[in-house]
Amino acid sequence: MGVAKRILVAEDDPVTCRFVVSLLEDKGYEVVVAEDGERAASVAVDARPDLIVSDLVMPYRDGFELLRAIRNDERIKRTPLILLSMRDREEDIVRGFEQGADDYVVKPFNAREFLARVRKLLEPRSR
Amino acid sequence: MHRLLIASILVVALVFVALTLVIVTAKAWREIRERVRRAKRRVLEPIVLGYAHGNAASILPALGGRLATADRGVVEEILLDHVQRVRGIERERLGKALDELGYVDRYLAGLKSPRWWKRAESAENLGLAGSSRATAGLLVALEDPSYEVRLRAAKALGAIGGRAAVAPLLRALSEPNRWSTIRIADLLSQMGRPVVDELIAAFPTLNLHAKLAALDILGRVHSLDAVPWLNARLADGDADVRSRSAAALGAIGVVDSAPALRQALGDPAWPVRAMAAKSLGKIHDAEAIPLLCAALRDREWWVRANAAEALKLAGPMGIEALEGMLDDADLYAKHQACLMLEESGILDRRVAQLASSGAVRDAAESIVRSFVQAGQDGRLRELAAGHAEPKVRKALARLLPEQAEEAAR
Repeated sequence: MGVAKRILVAEDDPVTCRFVVSLLEDKGYEVVVAEDGERAASVAVDARPDLIVSDLVMPYRDGFELLRAIRNDERIKRTPLILLSMRDREEDIVRGFEQGADDYVVKPFNAREFLARVRKLLEPRSR
Repeated sequence: MHRLLIASILVVALVFVALTLVIVTAKAWREIRERVRRAKRRVLEPIVLGYAHGNAASILPALGGRLATADRGVVEEILLDHVQRVRGIERERLGKALDELGYVDRYLAGLKSPRWWKRAESAENLGLAGSSRATAGLLVALEDPSYEVRLRAAKALGAIGGRAAVAPLLRALSEPNRWSTIRIADLLSQMGRPVVDELIAAFPTLNLHAKLAALDILGRVHSLDAVPWLNARLADGDADVRSRSAAALGAIGVVDSAPALRQALGDPAWPVRAMAAKSLGKIHDAEAIPLLCAALRDREWWVRANAAEALKLAGPMGIEALEGMLDDADLYAKHQACLMLEESGILDRRVAQLASSGAVRDAAESIVRSFVQAGQDGRLRELAAGHAEPKVRKALARLLPEQAEEAAR
């Protein structure tokens, strides 16, 4: 059996965080958690996740700032990132993709659809 | 006297100590209960989520065969917390667990509570549970004396969906004094395609207020099935119905509605003509270009403005038609074409072409001359003063009359 892919979940809402973590762990992924954008940026460098799932509205550093920090850091700039947000306005979604997000999932989200997106981004040829 | 004073002080001190004890004990008790609740949640949440992610037919085996009375509150909290954060199968399974564990029955009983907030909370939770068993109870709650209860019941019905939920919400549309039309229309729109047939069937029985809301909903649902029916509404006897039908067809945005919308450009009521023009723009109908050009001469500003916008949206052919209208005999049409070409940045692009040569420059010059002749030269003067390209500034100085005179002096 291969090594489990590591996913960083950056989410300040504990209920959503526990749901996402449980969903990903249930599928055999190794999950690390950061409850704000500032901490997520440092965990991303230390833990070198294979994928980042980030909320948009978080304390200290929001999802867009986290995304910018990741894309500007040579060590982790190629890590795929999914934005997970309640904001469903076209401008937020477009801004997310323009700033380098690989996917954008609107909350409340469909768990199976979300897992399919995660699997797709973890495929070796996806980036 | 001295003894009485001492006794009074002792009584006050005792009351103070007793009160302090009660407060401290209550706080400690609350903290203990909260700790126990958190500990229980830590144990039970993974079990509930495991059930949600899995395929088990029932949640009870995962909970050890039965749910302990002491755990009921925590499990309910977990289920309600998560059910509103997900969609799809997970949501259905969490809703099913709320039903299986008896919470839906409790909420249904809660709809009959004498306290309005209890009824409102029960209605909301029934919507989250999404159980079709709740429909009958929620329909009764639509008549509740409390607006908050009625609204949450309507929202719950919208979330549960199904034919049984549509009819009462449609009736609510006809009662703007009791309901917020916007909220009910939102709920019906969120129900999506299933509302279309019901809306169309109920349409003749609705009052005008509800009819107009129903047409908006059909546009928001984007149902292709509604297009032929909406096309036919463009011949309705009521101008408001015709106008909203035209708007709904534009929102759906399919070419099947183009012939009927083109015909509606000749409607005697200007709001219908204006909406037909706007919708033709949304479906990018090239065949409508001559009719939209004619609509630029309409006596109503809204029709002219929407026709100009539609021509802009029709692509290169529409832009060409707008430029052709710069020399129209009708002053209103000419001004509307100028305004749209200026607003959309096409004038600026044409002006930049003054620096080129041959046919492109000649065409650009012709456009600029038309703007000058129409008296719409404000933007041209700005560009003449500040354009980055000297060739363009020079060409504009030659084409703008006062500046040409100044240059000659």
